[in-house]
Amino acid sequence: MALNAVKRDIPSRIEGYGNTGEKLFEGAFARKPEGFRASAMMRSRGPNDPTKFLGSVKEAIAASGLKSGMTISFHHHLRNGDFIVNQVLDECAKAGIRDLTLFPTALFGVHKAIIPHIKSGVVRRIMGSVNGPIGQLVSEGGMEVPVVLRSHGGRPRAVIAGDVHIDVAFIAAPTADVGGNMSGRAGKSACGSLGYAFTDAEYANCVIALTDNLQHYPIAPISIPGTFVDFVVQVGVIGDPDGIVSGTTRVTRDPLRLLIARHASKLIEASPYFKDGLSFQTGAGGIPLAVTAFMKEAMKRRRVRGGFGLGGITGYFVDLLKEGLLKKLMDVQSFDHEAVESISSDPRHIEISADWYANPWNCGAAVNELDVVILGATEVDMNFNANVNTEADGALLHGIGGHQDTAAGAKLTIIAQPLLRGRIPCVVDSVHTVTTPGEAIDALVTEFGVTINPRRRDLIDACGEAKGKNAVPLVPLDELAERAKRMSGPMSPLRQGDRIVGIVEWRDGTVIDVVRQIFPENISS
Amino acid sequence: MSSGETLPAAQAGTVESMDCLVTIAASSGGRRIEISGSGAARFRSAMENKIIQVLDSLGGPGDLSVTVQDNGALDIVLGARVEAAYLRFREAMLR
Amino acid sequence: MRRTMLYLPGNNPNMLLRGHLFGSDGLIFDLEDAVSRSEKDSSRILVREVLRHSGFDGREVTVRINGLDTEYWRDDLAAVVPCRIHGIRVPKVDTPQTIRDLDDALSALESRASVPIGATKVFCLLETALGVWNAYDIATASPRVTAIIPGGEDLAADLRTSRSKEGTELEWIRRMMIVAARAAGVDALDTVFPSVTDEEGLRREALFTKQLGFDGKSVIHPAQIPIIHEIYDPTEAEVEKARKIVAAAREAAARGLGAVSVDGRMVDLPVVRRAEFTLERAGAMTEGGAR
Repeated sequence: MALNAVKRDIPSRIEGYGNTGEKLFEGAFARKPEGFRASAMMRSRGPNDPTKFLGSVKEAIAASGLKSGMTISFHHHLRNGDFIVNQVLDECAKAGIRDLTLFPTALFGVHKAIIPHIKSGVVRRIMGSVNGPIGQLVSEGGMEVPVVLRSHGGRPRAVIAGDVHIDVAFIAAPTADVGGNMSGRAGKSACGSLGYAFTDAEYANCVIALTDNLQHYPIAPISIPGTFVDFVVQVGVIGDPDGIVSGTTRVTRDPLRLLIARHASKLIEASPYFKDGLSFQTGAGGIPLAVTAFMKEAMKRRRVRGGFGLGGITGYFVDLLKEGLLKKLMDVQSFDHEAVESISSDPRHIEISADWYANPWNCGAAVNELDVVILGATEVDMNFNANVNTEADGALLHGIGGHQDTAAGAKLTIIAQPLLRGRIPCVVDSVHTVTTPGEAIDALVTEFGVTINPRRRDLIDACGEAKGKNAVPLVPLDELAERAKRMSGPMSPLRQGDRIVGIVEWRDGTVIDVVRQIFPENISS
Repeated sequence: MSSGETLPAAQAGTVESMDCLVTIAASSGGRRIEISGSGAARFRSAMENKIIQVLDSLGGPGDLSVTVQDNGALDIVLGARVEAAYLRFREAMLR
Repeated sequence: MRRTMLYLPGNNPNMLLRGHLFGSDGLIFDLEDAVSRSEKDSSRILVREVLRHSGFDGREVTVRINGLDTEYWRDDLAAVVPCRIHGIRVPKVDTPQTIRDLDDALSALESRASVPIGATKVFCLLETALGVWNAYDIATASPRVTAIIPGGEDLAADLRTSRSKEGTELEWIRRMMIVAARAAGVDALDTVFPSVTDEEGLRREALFTKQLGFDGKSVIHPAQIPIIHEIYDPTEAEVEKARKIVAAAREAAARGLGAVSVDGRMVDLPVVRRAEFTLERAGAMTEGGAR
């Protein structure tokens, strides 16, 4: 056991993960890359070779040479509408393949269908987010090998650095041609950006494109070129459009969330970053979307023209682009129809890879150019450490997403969250799981006001200068913690075991925390 | 389950956010408290204490089964719902 | 200040516990229209517990009880008066007798709960033509009465009309309410604006009632609060001008002068009073050192 830089006890060896001695979290920017990038097997296809086009997933699995014990990857742009992960694993099971490492960019509720494959041993390990029933299964010790969680930037870093090698990448493509060129812009399953899949295409030993919209060679524009792609498979449907993109995203009408959003936008307005060129990321959550709406109001009122919007893109960001309040959108994931439409038609709306978006070990991650990001968290503690992975009962139910990357990159990182979710306090003495260290978090915004990390004296001063209608209601962290305790009352300790079921990597590949097994709750007493 | 099915039972509260639904019924096997929902994992003992305190203060008998379906009720709310459910239960017993 | 008083449904723990966060000057825990008949008992208990154990950041805390023509009002009062609330909002007040009955019941409860007699103020909702006609007599029926409020839907129905966007049917009633309130020395508070999404309509109505002289407005959604405050709060220019007037008046008084001139215009006593009121509204009296 050894303490890492956020004072978490990390065993020197974790069964199913390896030694952690060299990989203890030392600080947000402590670890630098060494050596050279990893590589993939060289392959070629000449003019006289057979076509890439195959008739079924089954044939493609056979052609790829996938064997038991290998690593397969998926991207999550089809979100809760995805059919591909389930279908591929069904075929793997039928082919007698076992002990696979599943390496998705994220899993969703729809993927609970793979639970039988986890139980039967087709899937032995998951490296990626788990939620819903899979998260519950993992939390209760349902997998022998711990899950490894990485951020959106940490994942491509792990691939490029050689921490993870992908044997076969399965890429769901809303549009593809027989040469394997892919795009997410068109087709009945259109999802916009394919950003998360780029690095997998480049670094996998074999790449299989699965499409329900096969076009003549070549399609245009192309997101992922066929030069990386070994096989193309046509399937009936790759996903359910209703689960892929939502309709027009609407700002919440919940007064509590609006209040929090209002406080957050006042903080942004009072900060030194609220000026021409302002860049920000707000994602698709209720509070962040409302912040976007309030920011739009403030930008118009103060005649501020923003720079770029980053990350997961919604119709709200598209409106800002159209109205000239933002100059560019950098899109790793398109959340709604408006975003898909925009990335397909507006050259100022740029598709970027997860590597480009957030990898700490390249020379130009977009997060480093970010002024402001609004994030959520299940808990924040007295050191401003944030937990986004585990719930109050200790269950591992959420992925990291871009949390670590944007927090590390942005000049102003805001966590906006109600102080209490039901009876459960969001401010605690010590978070159950550290996802993002307090050194990367600048402010916490709750319904009680704005709480600024004391190391950001400059921000406290800037807020102090905002007067009258623009005044920022400041609340010290200890007062907030006191209030939360008074309202929620004493918490009983968690019933958890010693066994490690999840490892949370910081974006540089070091271990920032581990998640231990919980015991299913017994209802009566 | 006890033989509570044929005896009177009463409810108060809702399953809305920050509320709870409390059901009180007669029980033959002493006081039984069942708690499920969002507060169960970390607030079970605080919730049990609150329920007992409210029932005692109202002179509630020992043979009661209390079922709480929680959606994040604070003690203030839990206490109010237990009180309302118990008063309704008592009324039903008198009928 | 009663620029805004926010209604909170009596059976909704979420809003009862969080209502004070939205910045209204006052809160109205509603046991009447927001609560169905079957939940009158449980809401009464819930509101009592929240009043006893929760904090409200210094807001004026009131409870709307059920009308004196119902079987609930005595239980409502018995539950909330011992919690030392600022006031009771009572619906459908038609005659001064209603207020005298309420006064007696309040005094009895206050004395039993060791609350100073008369501490619980009364806000009267005048929801019938008769109530409106008796406005002055109602407002002077007890020293507890601190505000009168015209009804909305109920009053429109009693007038045999319906509520319109323009508020034509309430226009005369609002003017009358101001006269009665000022004559009796109580506040005139406006009824709610029912459409939560119609920001423009709310703005128009609030501007109109502010100009009539109302002290504030009841609200049903937190989103309405900042809009009304913006209208009711003096503008920076108004505050600046008021500051000048008050300063000049003070200087003149110190030098034993009667007449005051500000920016070349003569200023008499009513204007100075008005300026003092503006500064009070803006919370600027202490800064200006005017009182």
